Amino acid sequence: MSNNNQQRIYVPQMSRRDSLKWLGALAATTAVPGLVACSDAVPVKQTTGTITGHWPELKLTPISAAGYGTDPNLIMPPATPWPRTLTTAQLDTVAVLCDWIIPSEGSNPSATQVKVPDVIDEWVSAPYDGQQRDRETIFHLLAWLDDEAKLHGAKSFIALTDEKQQSILDAIATRDDNIQGAYTRPADAFSRYRALVLAGYFSSPQGRKDIGFKGNVAIGGDYPGPSEEARAHINKVIDDLGLSEYAYPDY
Amino acid sequence: MDDFDYHAVVVGSGAGGAMAAYELTRQGIKVLLLEAGRDYDPKTETPMFKTNHEAPLLGSSNKDKNFGFYDATVDGGWQVPDEPYTTAEGSEFMWWRARMLGGRTNHWGRYSLRFSHHDFKGKSRDGLGADWPFEYDDIAPWYDKTEKLVGVCGANTDHEDMPHSAPGVLQEPPKPRVTELLVAAAAGKEGIRAVPMHRAVLTKSQDIRQKCFYATPCGHGCSIGAAFQTTTSLIPLAKQTGNLKVITDAMVRTVDTDSDGQVTGLTYVDKNTGKDIKLLSKVVILAASSCESARILLNSKTDVHPAGLANSSGQVGRNLMDSTGAGIGAYIPALRNRPRYNEDGHTANHLFIPWWGHDAQAKGELDFPRGYHFEIGSGFREPGSWVAGDFQGYGLSVKEEARAAYGSYISFALRGEMLPNDDCYMEIDDEVTDKWGIPVAKFHWKFSEHEINQVKHGLETAKKIFANMGADVGDLPAPEDAILKGGQIIHEVGATRMGEDPADSVTNQWGQTWDCPNLFVMDAGTFASNPHKNCTLTILTLAMRNADWLAGQIKQGAL
Repeated sequence: MSNNNQQRIYVPQMSRRDSLKWLGALAATTAVPGLVACSDAVPVKQTTGTITGHWPELKLTPISAAGYGTDPNLIMPPATPWPRTLTTAQLDTVAVLCDWIIPSEGSNPSATQVKVPDVIDEWVSAPYDGQQRDRETIFHLLAWLDDEAKLHGAKSFIALTDEKQQSILDAIATRDDNIQGAYTRPADAFSRYRALVLAGYFSSPQGRKDIGFKGNVAIGGDYPGPSEEARAHINKVIDDLGLSEYAYPDY
Repeated sequence: MDDFDYHAVVVGSGAGGAMAAYELTRQGIKVLLLEAGRDYDPKTETPMFKTNHEAPLLGSSNKDKNFGFYDATVDGGWQVPDEPYTTAEGSEFMWWRARMLGGRTNHWGRYSLRFSHHDFKGKSRDGLGADWPFEYDDIAPWYDKTEKLVGVCGANTDHEDMPHSAPGVLQEPPKPRVTELLVAAAAGKEGIRAVPMHRAVLTKSQDIRQKCFYATPCGHGCSIGAAFQTTTSLIPLAKQTGNLKVITDAMVRTVDTDSDGQVTGLTYVDKNTGKDIKLLSKVVILAASSCESARILLNSKTDVHPAGLANSSGQVGRNLMDSTGAGIGAYIPALRNRPRYNEDGHTANHLFIPWWGHDAQAKGELDFPRGYHFEIGSGFREPGSWVAGDFQGYGLSVKEEARAAYGSYISFALRGEMLPNDDCYMEIDDEVTDKWGIPVAKFHWKFSEHEINQVKHGLETAKKIFANMGADVGDLPAPEDAILKGGQIIHEVGATRMGEDPADSVTNQWGQTWDCPNLFVMDAGTFASNPHKNCTLTILTLAMRNADWLAGQIKQGAL
């Protein structure tokens, strides 16, 4: 296993507690047919507006695993509530995309350093409707990226140079009125993917710190309320908006 | 139960049932309490301090856990496994249930607003709906007792829509967040006040419960008992008397009657064995929730009670009301990159906007008869499966946007009073039964123009308040589209309403059914109207007052 890991771009989270469950999940995955649809992706030519683009046509087998049910253990949540389904190749592409979206920054880690690809894998492998829609979206995005790479003469997206990867992402990462028609579908998919990566990163312990979340700590006395700085700031906001005469009186 | 000589059986362990059991046992009366769901202990089962990161799918909601992974609700939500309900063609209605000791009190919002003199006599004022069979002054002392026992934080503010609590009753409210201060100023410009919310959260410890430590959303439940739920307060306190026994997994099938039509006890399904168990009881108190209690009554029909038990008026299942609901929110540019601090507080509104329009309604200036309030959504919440911001591109600029936008959104939740109407009711589905063979509830629903006009007014008012904050909410949706579905606010009440006349009500003011003196309803089914102020505090208060009256009857030998 360790030799394999050295060759992989992304190594799934394997804490000692998780490792047995992970192996169990791998075993369970092999029992679920039709999950590796992406490798069969065939680029489909289509026309959107005046510009010809492509969008893969994947037929994904719906996830049939059970959910965690209506009475799960909330104190010890299931670490792997259902089998994970991303292939190694998909997981590697997921990881590369994660770190384009959230690279490391000073002391703040990158998305892969806080194991966001595991979040994505758990998400797209979940048996619920919302996640199944995202599974469709993300599997198609991953296949589209590889198809696009093939048009650039590479075997896959992650085989491209950083510059080439960036040029593809630049075409789909800004979803505005100027986007070229060929890129609207991958851009919509990328937008959804980015939202999930942001959620995975900022909900991590390091991400919570990065965004400045200061809650979830027990306070012994009264709730202290806003800091001096926060109160001064809001007073200025209220003043700037011309609302000072309506400021809240304390009761 | 051979060894436990109970006088009354209470059906349901939520707000009404647990309070009835508390008050009766406190007065020395032995009570058997039945709960359709499983036993539940918040001390050992509440996910305190647990983060979204540790939960499957970052804690987000789905069909198994409708309010997110950590929501306290067990075996419930918009659907309960094996216990369906139906809706009539053309009707949409959502029915939230829980199957656990303590019922919905384990996850409720804890908003605890008194109804006022306006609320109990709406019909006398505008001719619509029904008056309650008592005055505010009759129930005010019971609100005081209930607030004191439950532990409600808040403040007396001379607001026309918020009656004062007696001195020393309310606990100190937490300080407002800066977002709430901004809303208060922006609403103030429209002549609308924001005041401290009243919540069933302890800000100082009492009896077997500890004060709030200002972490962990109350909807997860509260292992220290600070956020009120019957499983950390009324039920264990009642057990301390030695007068309470609880049976869980007990799903009531029927209330049983004799050949004269008088109540002799009830039959429940033991969910563990699937077997029916018959209990005899001198008094039966239904507190299974408005629609579940009505369902039991309608399913208890006999030759003597052909339309269902306690239904000589034909009103069981009728007069069903929810609160109106609508949401509106916006990005507030002035809050971008605002200074960070711990905004958890007691994890819900510290300030809110009560109904301000009584004068305008009295003058005939509004095209809807009943009021609403705004709850304020804001704050530096723990990041979960969604991060706010207007994201484009990738890399550090995306992170910068997430940090800048964090805590810069504010939303209002409108909660308003709806009036009863002939299109909103429940009955028994004559084709569908649940896993236990019990015929299920079937809902009919249609809002009237009163509710639509009210929501329109709310959206337009909110838009002005947001504009005062420098925010643009854009074009408003049509109120018919904005109003949330019937049942969706989880304030469904009225299906066994109380009144002064047996011809148009199911119970008297004590929750005693007109048809059967030893049969009571002590949940929100008895509400004669549904003021916008969230029903639980009044369920608790009525249950305390009416259980006290019942205790008097029992002591006199009348029941």
